[in-house]
Amino acid sequence: MEGMEKKTSAGRRFVLKGVAGSLILAVMPLAAANAEGGLGATGNPVEVKIMANEAFANSWQTILVPEFNKAFPNVKVRIDGVPYTELLAKMMLDATSPQPEYDILLADDPWVPQLAQIGALKDLKSDEISAMTDKGYDWDDFNAAPLAAGEWNGKQYAVPVRSNMLLMFYNRALYEKAGVPEPTPQITWDQFFANAPKLVQDTNGDGKPDSWAIDTYFVREPLTPTIWQSILNSNGGALLDASGAPAFANQVGSKSLEMHKRLLEFAPPGALGHGFSESLQAFRQGIVANMITWGSVYKATAVDKQSTTLTVEDVGVQVLPVGSTSAGTHRGIWIAGVSSKTEKLDASWAFVQWLTSKQGESINASMVGSFPARKSTLASEPSEAWLKPIYKTLQNAYDVAATGKMWRIRNPKSDAAQQILADEIARGLAGQASPEEALKTAAGKIAKVLK
Amino acid sequence: MMKSVPPAKTDVSRSRWRDQVGDLFERWSFLMPSILVLTVMLAYPIFYTIEISFASFDIATFGAGEWIGWANYEEVIGDYRFWDSLQVTLIYLVIALPLQVTLGFGIAFLINAEWWGRSALRALFIIPMVVAPVVAGGMWRMILDPLWGIMNYWMGLAGISSLDWFGDPKLAMAAIIIIDTWRWTPFIVLIATAALLALPKDVFEAAKIDGANWWSTLWSVAVPLLVPIIAATFVIRWLGAVKMFDIVLAATYGGPGKATNIINLFIYEEAFRSLRFAESAAMAVIVLVLTMVLTGIFLRGSRKLEELF
Repeated sequence: MEGMEKKTSAGRRFVLKGVAGSLILAVMPLAAANAEGGLGATGNPVEVKIMANEAFANSWQTILVPEFNKAFPNVKVRIDGVPYTELLAKMMLDATSPQPEYDILLADDPWVPQLAQIGALKDLKSDEISAMTDKGYDWDDFNAAPLAAGEWNGKQYAVPVRSNMLLMFYNRALYEKAGVPEPTPQITWDQFFANAPKLVQDTNGDGKPDSWAIDTYFVREPLTPTIWQSILNSNGGALLDASGAPAFANQVGSKSLEMHKRLLEFAPPGALGHGFSESLQAFRQGIVANMITWGSVYKATAVDKQSTTLTVEDVGVQVLPVGSTSAGTHRGIWIAGVSSKTEKLDASWAFVQWLTSKQGESINASMVGSFPARKSTLASEPSEAWLKPIYKTLQNAYDVAATGKMWRIRNPKSDAAQQILADEIARGLAGQASPEEALKTAAGKIAKVLK
Repeated sequence: MMKSVPPAKTDVSRSRWRDQVGDLFERWSFLMPSILVLTVMLAYPIFYTIEISFASFDIATFGAGEWIGWANYEEVIGDYRFWDSLQVTLIYLVIALPLQVTLGFGIAFLINAEWWGRSALRALFIIPMVVAPVVAGGMWRMILDPLWGIMNYWMGLAGISSLDWFGDPKLAMAAIIIIDTWRWTPFIVLIATAALLALPKDVFEAAKIDGANWWSTLWSVAVPLLVPIIAATFVIRWLGAVKMFDIVLAATYGGPGKATNIINLFIYEEAFRSLRFAESAAMAVIVLVLTMVLTGIFLRGSRKLEELF
């Protein structure tokens, strides 16, 4: 049995190496064509510096950069990791200096408007960069939702490099134990709430519940409103109207906040203080039947033996339940942009272009586990079998997000607006304000901030 | 015989002047490094903050933009969240400070008696003080967690039902005060122990001869003698407590709702999460002025108590 596992693992590694090798060979002509000019030369390499989230900077440096260097040996890439909470401020500080240190900025989903407003990023579809872009680089192959994360005011400032969507994970064993049918992407919130009491269970027979229906973000922090917003969007609501004014302080908004709050009735004790880590911990321990969180944790939740005892067979994943108009999700994409002041434009764009090309994205997906944004990558056979249902769900989530515009506010002041939402949604969830009052306050403050 | 010629008056005054200038130069040369460091590290950030608070923040230059007068202050004063945060901070200070000072002096009085384990106990008391606030917050978050924490387990063994420490607004504030008290009471115990050891022994001996019991000795002898120290300790602890930030960030994130959203956390979030640096600067200046005024009042009160006792 063990021998078989080893054999399978070795075989998989061989296939991976083969795929990576052939992909590198495929991009070789591009590398050869660009070997002159700003792409360095043997003995005279050019160095590109990237500012990124410390959560993945190190793995990219050690895994992706060597792959890139097989195609571009004379471009040295240095990725500096910065803690997430300081990343935007440091990025803006660097971008506004007369001679920025960084050539490429890896930004979170809502940051492009801020960075674009201060002139920090190049328009990647400008004539200057188009002239450097490989003919085979297919912009239309990107899914609309992730690509839109890098766009602002009609210009494409960044490209998706690490996509993520808010999804609902479910524990099959707990559903079976409760005698409740497993959810499907068609399940509605009404059906979910009808099943929820049955999913609060006493699994060890001691007379006390030890397993609950759901856990997710309830704590006072900027990502908690994304849960409420997913419900709002699935009920046909929106954060802003066409004129850019807040449009959520209404019946749909209040109903959606009531629904978010109602989830607490079926969540573990203390869930009001739960966020990303606590809900993930509860789900991995098999004490909650559902978890709404970012899709990228699937590997650590159902695949990695070092971090979970659950298996791929135990864990299902899908978009959030259907509201009055559609299913729900929320976009969370990491995007790469090129500094407008870089003196190494050729090399910087070469890296971003390679990383987001069909080939680079496949390598990023298979070797690092980043979720792809291209339709072709999602439709292709993934390197690992467990990725197949994930890719299907991801494609569904992109479509749902694109239709319902399920993302955070696109504005240079989006962070301030998100913090206001975090404060008010937290008050609503804690019962310190009625949903109507919390949303009315949030709408008033956001209107003022965005003005 | 040669007559010594007295130095001319002008020479004497010139020499004295030279000495004075030399002395002044010497003093200032010793002071200059400290003045320079304080100017760069303290005065400049304060003046920069004040400058930003009266301007719009120019994100493109990352500095003060157009002068807008009191607009940021008006904005802050009109924000209910600012007042709520001040109120939360006040609740924390009003409960935590007297609690810590009372506990600190009480424990010091109890362990002041001569017994074999006194030194070891004093050494153990130092442990919470050397734990970083963020670590203390995170550690207590685990201890008090309703699902995984050991506190509710122990309470369950004692027949007490589980408490939702971070889901109930009052309990969340209680949790913050417990963590802060755990961390800072030992500091007060150390000061109080030193103060108790420095008290004149003859007064206590006289009280004993006069037949004073334990309570009378404490209330009528020790406490009056300790009042100036208690007041000074209160001021020192106050200056530390108004900076409360890390424990809340690690334990409750200011929640549930706004229950533990103390002013420093609110200012931090407005500045570094919302990038509203100008409004945050205005808040910081208001808090600085309030702190200075209250510290002045406490210092004055402490001096009055010293005179009285």
